[in-house]
Formats: sequence, C-alpha cells, structure tokens
Amino acid sequence: MIQGASGSGKTTLLGLMAGLDQSSSGDIILLGEDLTSKNEEQRARVRAGRVGFVFQSFQLVQGATALQNVMLPIELGGKADAFELACKHLQEVGLESKADTLVEQLSGGEQQRVSIARAFAVEPTILFADEPTGNLDAKTGKQITDLMFRLRDQTGTTLVLVTHEQSLAERGDVHIQIESGELLNAD
Amino acid sequence: MLIATIITIAIVTASQLITQRIGLLLDRQASELLAADLVVASSAPLAQSYREKAGAEGLNVATTISMRTAIFIDDEPQLVELKAAGAGYPLRGQLETARDLNAEKQRPKQGPSNGEVWIDTRLSAQLGQSILLGKQSFEANWLLTFEPDRGGSLFNLAPRVLMNLDDLHDTGLIIPGSRVRCRVLFSGSGDQINRFRRWLKPRLQADESIQDIETARPEMRRALERTRSFFALSIILTLVIAMVAIAITASYTAGREAPKVAILRAFGIAQTRLVGFYLREIGKLWIIASLVGIAFGWLSQFPLQWALDGWFGRELPQVDTMQPFLVAALVGLVSLAGFCLPYLLSVIATPPMQVFRPVTSRRSLKRNVLFGVSAIVTVFLVLILLMQSSLLAVVTLGVILVATLMLPVIFGLLIRALLFSGNHRFWLKRYLLSRLRSSTRAAIVVMSGFSLALLAILMIAIVKDELLAAWDTQLPDDIPNYFLINLAREDVPQIRQSLEQQAIASSDPYPLVRTRLAAINGVPVAQIAFADPRASNLVNHTFNVSFSEVLPDDNAIIEGQWIAGENPTNQFSVEQGMAERLAIKIGDVIALSVGAETIEAPVSSIRTVLWENFKPNFYLIANRRLIEHKPQTWLLSARIEDNNKPALKQLLQQFPAITLLDVSILMARIQAIIDRATIALEFFFLFALASAFIVLLAAIQTGKAERQKESALLRALSAQNRQLYSVHVLEFTLMGLLVGFFAALFASLAGWLISVQFFDIDYHFSPTTWIYGLVSATLVLTIAGTMVSRKVYNISPMKILRS
Repeated sequence: MIQGASGSGKTTLLGLMAGLDQSSSGDIILLGEDLTSKNEEQRARVRAGRVGFVFQSFQLVQGATALQNVMLPIELGGKADAFELACKHLQEVGLESKADTLVEQLSGGEQQRVSIARAFAVEPTILFADEPTGNLDAKTGKQITDLMFRLRDQTGTTLVLVTHEQSLAERGDVHIQIESGELLNAD
Repeated sequence: MLIATIITIAIVTASQLITQRIGLLLDRQASELLAADLVVASSAPLAQSYREKAGAEGLNVATTISMRTAIFIDDEPQLVELKAAGAGYPLRGQLETARDLNAEKQRPKQGPSNGEVWIDTRLSAQLGQSILLGKQSFEANWLLTFEPDRGGSLFNLAPRVLMNLDDLHDTGLIIPGSRVRCRVLFSGSGDQINRFRRWLKPRLQADESIQDIETARPEMRRALERTRSFFALSIILTLVIAMVAIAITASYTAGREAPKVAILRAFGIAQTRLVGFYLREIGKLWIIASLVGIAFGWLSQFPLQWALDGWFGRELPQVDTMQPFLVAALVGLVSLAGFCLPYLLSVIATPPMQVFRPVTSRRSLKRNVLFGVSAIVTVFLVLILLMQSSLLAVVTLGVILVATLMLPVIFGLLIRALLFSGNHRFWLKRYLLSRLRSSTRAAIVVMSGFSLALLAILMIAIVKDELLAAWDTQLPDDIPNYFLINLAREDVPQIRQSLEQQAIASSDPYPLVRTRLAAINGVPVAQIAFADPRASNLVNHTFNVSFSEVLPDDNAIIEGQWIAGENPTNQFSVEQGMAERLAIKIGDVIALSVGAETIEAPVSSIRTVLWENFKPNFYLIANRRLIEHKPQTWLLSARIEDNNKPALKQLLQQFPAITLLDVSILMARIQAIIDRATIALEFFFLFALASAFIVLLAAIQTGKAERQKESALLRALSAQNRQLYSVHVLEFTLMGLLVGFFAALFASLAGWLISVQFFDIDYHFSPTTWIYGLVSATLVLTIAGTMVSRKVYNISPMKILRS
C-alpha cells in the first residue's frame, strides 16, 4: 500500500514501478527486469501479460462495450481465446449481463469493475491500482475494494495500491509512506 | 485560430497582390499588340483636347498616321503600308530591326529618326537605296523585322514602310481627301487608363473608336478572359480552404473554452461580461493576425517574382494601391466574426451543467443550424468583398455549399453503416469502430474539412488542366502559320493542287466579299444606339463576308439552323460575339453594303467561333446565292515549314497576285501569354496546396489530444509499436479513402460545371482526378495523421493519461 498526501508523488511512484513512466535517475527493477534503460516499446513488452493496471478515472475505451474493453489487452497480447477469457472475467466482477453495454452507459462503479476485469484478464503477476475508489462513493468503493482483494486471493496476483483511505490501506501487507517525493517509511 | 486567421489574411493579401501584378503584366503584354494600353483611331486627326487630358492624367501619348501609298524605287512604283510614327512610339513593346535578314536583331528605343525610313523585310532588296516618298527622298537604312502592333490587324497586305511623323508633312502625301488612319496611343497605370477611358467615351466622334486589349483580337481576348477567370476561381477556392481552417479551429477553441466559461458562469460572472471579454480577445487576435498575415502575404510575392521574372523576361509590375491589404484585413475580420462568434456565444449561452455533463438536445441541433447559416453568410460576404458580383463566385459558392451540407451527412451515414455492420472479432477493426463511435463528430469534422480542402484543390487542378489542354489543342504543332489571300476564284483549284503536291496542309478555301454593315431590321446602323461599346468597331469598318454550305471547322451552332439544303433561301449565320455586340437575334434582317449595292437577308443561325485556331473565321457567313456573284477574292490558310519555302516561291511566281500573310508573330504572342499564364496558374496551385495542408493539420489537431490519450491507454495495456501503428495507419487510411472518393466525386461534378459554363472548354472525364483524389488523400492523411500521433510512441503513457 502506498500512502501519502495529495501531490506527494504516489501516482508518479506507481507509474514508475509499473513502467508507465520514465525515471530521470535511479534504477527500476520490475519482475527481475531493469526498466531504467528500456524505451517505451521495450517496457511495454516487459508489462505484456504480466502487469495489470487500474486507474482512478477508469480509462476505458469509449464507444466500446464492456466485453470489448476486457478483450482488448488479451488480444493485444496475442491470445486466441480472448472472448472466453473476457466473459469469464466479466462474470467474476458480476457484469456478465452488461457485457454488450457501451461503457459510457455504465455507472461509475460498473465502469471501475470493467476496469478491474480488464486488469485481471491478462492474468498478471502484479497489478497496480491508482486510487481505484477515488471517484466512487463509499459504499461502491467498498464493493470495489472487496472485489479486488477477492480476485487477488483467487489468482495470487501481487497488488500494489495507491490510496489515501486509511481503512483500505490497513488491508495491505506492506505499507509505504511518502511525502514530497521522499520515502518516509516502509513496513 | 490565430495561425488559421494569419494564413487567411496572408492568402488574401498574397493572392490579391499576385493576381493584380500578373494581371497588370498580362495586360501589358496584350497591350504590346496595340503598342499601347489604349488607342483612339480615326480617319481624321484627333482633337487636341484628348492629348491635353491624357497629359493631365499623367499618361504617355504617341501618334501614328498610316496610309496605303506608293513609293518609288528607281522610278518603279510599289504599293506599301506607310506608317509615320511620332516620338514615344511604341509605348508598349519594342521594335526590332536588322541590317539584313540573317543579321542580329536590334531593339531601338524609338522609331526612325528624321530623314530615314525602315522598310519591311519583303522590301529587303531595296535596303540602302534611296526611296521616294511623295516629294521627299529617304534612305532605307534598316529592315523592320518586328513591329509590336503589326499583328493586331491580320490583313495588312502591303509591305510596311516606317518613317518619322515629323517628315510626313514634307512628303506632301496628305492632301484633303487622303484616306489615312490616325491613331493616338496612350499608356499609363490601370487606374489612369480607366479614368481616361471614362472621360473619353462620351466625347468620341462618330468616326473615332477606342481600341484596347478588350477590343483587340478575339484570340487574345479569350486567352486573357480565361486566365482572369481562372485566377478568380483559384482565389475563391484557396480562400474556402483557409476559411475551413478557421471554422475547424474555432470549433476546437470553443470546445476548449467551454469548461472555463462554465466555471466562470457557475461563479456568477455575467454573460455580458463574458461576451465583452471574448469580443476584446477576438479584436486583439484580429489586429495581430492582420499585421502578421499582411506581412507574410506581402513577403510571399517575392518567391513568385523570383520564379517568374526570369521566364517573363521582365519584372512584375508593382501594385500601387493599399486595396489588397485593406481587403485582406477586412476578410480576416469577417471570417473571425462569422466563424468564431457563433461558437463562443453558444458556449457562453450554454448552462454550465450542460458543459459538465453534456447531453445531446434539440438545442444542439439548432446551434448547428446557426453555425451553418453563419458560415454560409460569412463565406458569401467574403466572396462579395473579393469578387463583387461575379457569377463564377456565386456558382463556386453554391458548389462548396452543397458539398458542405452533404459531406457531413454522407460521412455520418457511412459511420453509422460501419458501426452496424456486424460483430467484429478482429480487435483492430473493433477498436477503430469504437473510436469512430465515441468521436463521430470529430471524425466528421476531420473528413468534411479535409474533403472540402481536397475538393477545392482538385477543382483547381481539373479546371487548370482542362484550360491548359484546351490551349494546347488550340495551338497544335500543325496550326496554320500563313494566310494566302487575294486569290482569284479561278486560280483556287490550281493553287490547292500545287500545295498538295508540295505536301503543304491547307484549309478549305473561302471567298471574301468586302462589305459594310448598313442596317438592321431596316434601321440604318448610324441611327441605332448600341449598348455595347464594342459595336462601333463592327459598324464603322468594312469586314469580309463569306459563303459556305459546310459549317467551318471549330464552329458550332448555338441557336437556329445552319444554312443547309439544295437551294437555301437567302440568310446569314452570325458569330456569337457579333450577335451580342449588335444585339442581333434569329430572324433579324441584316443589310450590307457591297460596293454600290445593298444586300439583305434574315439571320438564320448564331455560331460560336474558335478564333484561336488560326483558320479562316468569319463574323458573317451567307448562303452561296446571296453573294456568289459579288466582287470577291479568296483565301486559305496553310502550314508552311521552312523546307517548303522554295516551293512557295515557285507558287508565288506562278500566281504573282497572291499575298502571303505571316501570322506566326501573332501566334507567338498568344503562345507567350499562355506560357506566362501557365506559370502563374501552377504557382497558384501550389499556394492552394499549401493552404490545404494547413487545413489538414488543423483538422488532425482537433482530435489529437483524444487520439494521444487513447494511444497512451493502449500502451498502458502493453500495446507494441506495430499495434499502435496499425491503429493509426488503418484509421487514417480509411478516412483518406472516404475523403478522396467524395472529394473526387464533387470535384468532377464541379469541374465539369465550371469548365463548360465559365471557361467555355470541353470537359473530359479524367480518371487521374480520382486517382489523385484517392491516392493523395490516403497518403497525405495517413502520413500526416501518423506523424502527428507519433508522439505517443516515445512518451510515457502516464504523462499523457494524467495530463
């Protein structure tokens, strides 16, 4: 769990760890691979099939259905059974009935569930989540958190999560506190 | 938006400056056929007041007097066309002289000095001899190889002798009753000439007529009219492209400003304050864009000047008015007001919640109609500012308007059809369709904007190519370069046979009956007040009438029936231009004086004539019976190459009465105008092309942020470069194909309409338009679109997603 005040650098740290951002100094090792000297293309290759990401603002492909959004990373990874895998993951997040609904017609909570299904669809080794409940009400946020932890437990995926909610942070195994880009403590 | 407005103002400034400068140059070149910008001709000396007024206007003035007379060389008389030229002649163009036919040509600044004469190359044997002209003897010391205004009248039969006007009086050749042609030549700026022409017209006496480039030879007039019309078309279309750029960027800017305005309104800022703020912002933008745009427009003349000076052999004339700059600034203001204000006012009037949570409503439809009407009014105002009441501008606007209304609808329907075309399993196809679904409006804007730009480009290209092709076919390699005139009727078959034996291509022979227009519908022409000033040339001069059973080459009947049948009734076929100038209709009865007789007949048809084909062409053609027995000579035209010249000499010895008329000088002049106009047309095409590229970038820019964000998302989902390339290439290729297809379709229709209706040239369906349209749109859109989107390949997705 990564915690810190707004603007402390939590999301930046998460982006660097996930290889979605380029560091100006230091070394980043992800899944045993040094990302530091890799370009965008090479970092994408490292992430492919092994890293998932859940964004605070969902970042779904507009104009596409829930099912198509979940199928997208599977197909980008070149897997043939994208349709079946996507259906399975939508079912796991409880959205099988909304599979053919355009994502812009879903509620915020439903959109975040599609985003989680998409992240787990590539069966990642590690999943990064950037304040996944930040845009949701407390009740929906709780449902989303429960869903993510349930899937983590089912798949054994490592979950790296940025949050400033204390209740959510307490569910983590390792806690990192940062302030103004500085690591304060890690336990 | 600032850049688009700067470009619009720069385009207007540059196009106004360049067209005016090229127009001046073309006018000047055409003026060389007259050796002046304007000529007043009469059979008697002209009033001194004309010269005084011209002097007061700052015009240059020169005088010539010409007459047919006999000179004596070694007591042998010879008929010549004598011209006495005063100081300053020629005011436009240059004389050329040589010591002998093969010597290097000189370009003297003035005509002959006192006491000397220059003689026609046909009199070359007499060079250096003393020539008796009336009571005076002169020394012929130069051959006159070129005379700028010699080509202006095709039937200068006798050899030319040029002398100084001051010597004319002493020759005693002019006595009361002498048949002379007095010409006063004027030159100056366009404004000076126009002012002088307006002053002069009501003061002209019955025998006096104005000759200017408009009343010069019809071949020349047609070439100039077409060139000017093409420039007008190019300006309209280039402007349309620039205004499309303003419209696209205005829509983009309004979309970007909407959240800011909504927040300000949510905090209680009054709408009137916001309107005031944006009006001031637009005002500032206009001032900056005007200054920068005018500067750019002014600077852009220099590459053209540099490119054209070498080929034109002279400098482009300068424009000495502020009008191009003022018009450009005004066009900028009208464009900004017409395209930006409706968007900004609409944003200001939108309730803040509708900005934060956009919904499609009937109001947005109403707004779109408002934007459309505003855009149309704006384009129309700009065209009126630039083109005044040009019908060409109105028709072009109509074509663009139809395309503007139809293209978004067509593209919208096509996108819908694609979206409902089935359940696609291929991710790329599905992803593209989802992109189209989520950004239908942006896709329509890009495709419609670029289609309009490409449509304009293709229209310019089509009309340009048709125009050049028409000119090419009108001046083919085997065009006749000689007229054989003064042929006796009975000699014609033998002369033709002789030409055929020498493999010299010749036209059909035509009889010439010298006539003068006497009356129309029984009213003597002297009593008719013709509305068209060019009528006086036809009324005051004699002209040739021919007869024929066969419609001459390149003539086409546009009204009535051609003279046909075994023994047709007496009738005339009238050339279209003559019919217009004299307001002659089918059925009108024309009376002609032939010597002491008068003949009359009704008009049975009106013809178009291709004056540029250098074949025998006639204003009036009668049925055979009407003029068959009148005094006549015959003529035919022929293509005589240098290797045929000896055979020609033989022919002339056999038929000494034949007069040969070399029209190659006139042809060369017209070819020079066409060549120069071609360069200018090509330059304009480049100009329009550059503008279209700006539209393309503006159109792609509008969806750039969204496209980059979606690409960053794909990258976050581990998409590889080749997959991102596939997305962009396929998206823009699809757009390019659709854009190319519809732009080519509309351009072909519009090209046909404009070529036929305004340029009077045959339209040929060209597959190259479609190939250019499809290939250029696909390539340009794909390359430019991929280039603009390439940023995402090297930028961390997080940076884009968080921006």
